[in-house]
Amino acid sequence: MAAGLLAAGALRMTWEIPLTHLLRGQELLPPRLDTGTRERIGQTSSAVALGGLRTLVATFLNLRAHTRFTEQRWGELALLFDTITDLAPRTRYYWETGSWHQAYNAASHHLNDSKLPPLRRREAWRSSIRAGRAFLERGIRNNPDDWRLHAALGFLLTDPNKIPALRDADDCFAAAAEAYRRAAEQPDALGYVRRSMLYALARVDGRQDEALALARALHAEGARNHTPTLLCLLLVLESRADPRLDTGRRAIELFGGERRAYDALCNHWRRTRERFPVDGVAAALRSIEARLGIPESESILKSPPPAPFDPDQAFGN
Amino acid sequence: MNAHVPAGKRRGGHVVRILTIGAHAFTQLARMKVFHFLALFAVLAIASNFLNLPQHEGPESAGAAVLRSIKSWSLGAMTLFSVVIAVAATALLIPKDIEDRTLYTILAKPVPRIDYLAGRLLGVLLLLFVSLLAMDLLMTAVLQARTAIVLGEQRDMAAALGWPHDAVESLLAETRAAGPGWPLQGAVAAVFVRAAVMASIALLISTFSTSTLFTTVVGLLVYFIGHFQADARDFWLQGGEAGEGAAARLASLALALVLPDFQLFNVIDAVIEGSVVPLATLGRLVLAGGYYVVLFTLASWFIFAEKEI
Repeated sequence: MAAGLLAAGALRMTWEIPLTHLLRGQELLPPRLDTGTRERIGQTSSAVALGGLRTLVATFLNLRAHTRFTEQRWGELALLFDTITDLAPRTRYYWETGSWHQAYNAASHHLNDSKLPPLRRREAWRSSIRAGRAFLERGIRNNPDDWRLHAALGFLLTDPNKIPALRDADDCFAAAAEAYRRAAEQPDALGYVRRSMLYALARVDGRQDEALALARALHAEGARNHTPTLLCLLLVLESRADPRLDTGRRAIELFGGERRAYDALCNHWRRTRERFPVDGVAAALRSIEARLGIPESESILKSPPPAPFDPDQAFGN
Repeated sequence: MNAHVPAGKRRGGHVVRILTIGAHAFTQLARMKVFHFLALFAVLAIASNFLNLPQHEGPESAGAAVLRSIKSWSLGAMTLFSVVIAVAATALLIPKDIEDRTLYTILAKPVPRIDYLAGRLLGVLLLLFVSLLAMDLLMTAVLQARTAIVLGEQRDMAAALGWPHDAVESLLAETRAAGPGWPLQGAVAAVFVRAAVMASIALLISTFSTSTLFTTVVGLLVYFIGHFQADARDFWLQGGEAGEGAAARLASLALALVLPDFQLFNVIDAVIEGSVVPLATLGRLVLAGGYYVVLFTLASWFIFAEKEI
């Protein structure tokens, strides 16, 4: 009988191996748990996870992570999310949440509440944001078809409060545009993703022509894309391409009215923190202010725009 | 004419006998009140719905994360319960039949031993099927109720925030996909097949075991070791690339040849994470489970046929 059992075992290897490959190819089997993860979750959870209940262990660890979050134990929280995503690498929620905790919650904590000295506080703030970005990028490598993860990365890289912690702004906006482009390639991506790609691309030095082509294409698609930001950027990019453009007249044409154009351009003018280009906006504002009879003393151009986020000031250096 | 043909040779005789023994085994197990665990499952499923466990999520998700928790808890509990029931119920049957002397009564009649074993296994499989069906219905009902609540909250939230139509539809479609549906039934099928394989292994162990406890403990050990079978197989196939000794490689080969590959059934996790098991793949998994069940049942027969009773 033993010989029969072994022979049957050898026979089933001929279909077990292809079936395993098929299931892995269809992403129905999770990757193997590495030793580090097994050690981190402990013997009992390892046994449960190996017993085919990884997502259950991940659910328990997620509850534990929430406690670490409320206790503001950021290091342990990051480790927990490493483990959780090892157990459930295809659950977007864990990637988004882990990144959000590091890039936003931990970073804000170091920025505002930490009792650390300024230099260490600044380093902790910078590391948290970078770790949040790296975590999200790892999530994307595990789930390349998930448009929401790409979009979340684009959102992080265009956040004016995070950019100073990353590399230079141009790199951030270029990487964000690429993230949004990948998101937009997915068939189920929402319409805002292409607009966000434009918003990022318009801020990359040297890629304004590309941005203008995209802005025109989006504008031509219809009213759903006629958001104030897109219309302002279309005006700015057109003005950059043709410095002789009558931006006041063009703004009124784009927005369909002097008042609407003025309100939107005022708002755009004051978005200095977000580093949007403003070519031709001052001229347009002056022109519309004249049409609306706004005295020069009350011009929006007279009031200083908000200063961009400055880590030196925030950390008291 | 049929009266002169031995019972074992009659057309359909095997099937009828197996069904009769299976029905008896099912009744016997039901009388042992094994279904009481369903009450525990009900508490777990309902609690996972109504306990607002802390979640990290923004207001726009309107509690959608709890749907994944319900699936995770429910399928996890179904896996554990089904494996424990498969092992414990099978381990109980032969010793109980010996204790009650039912075994002697059955085998005194012209009943082939394979029919007896297959019938007993069928009874356990029927028990597993009914139990999983009940748990599945409960999980689906809880999930359906919670999904309806979440969808309603998301519609209200989207209307209050003036979300565009496509964004609302995308959110609702995602929530619906996280709710009850056919993909979830693929996971339940995988749970059943894995439990069926465990029952056949427990049957094999119980044919040479000396006690119910031994069968249960060894059965559960095999369950956990079975999850390493694929690793053992890969270890053998790598052919000592990392300089492993011959003894270690032979041990891994033995493990790979004797134990089933339980990792194949870990598709449950992928379903909880939102994947869909294609029907053809599910069919191959069921066939794989069928191969294991037939193999271990035949092995049980070889041992049981030689056993002096």
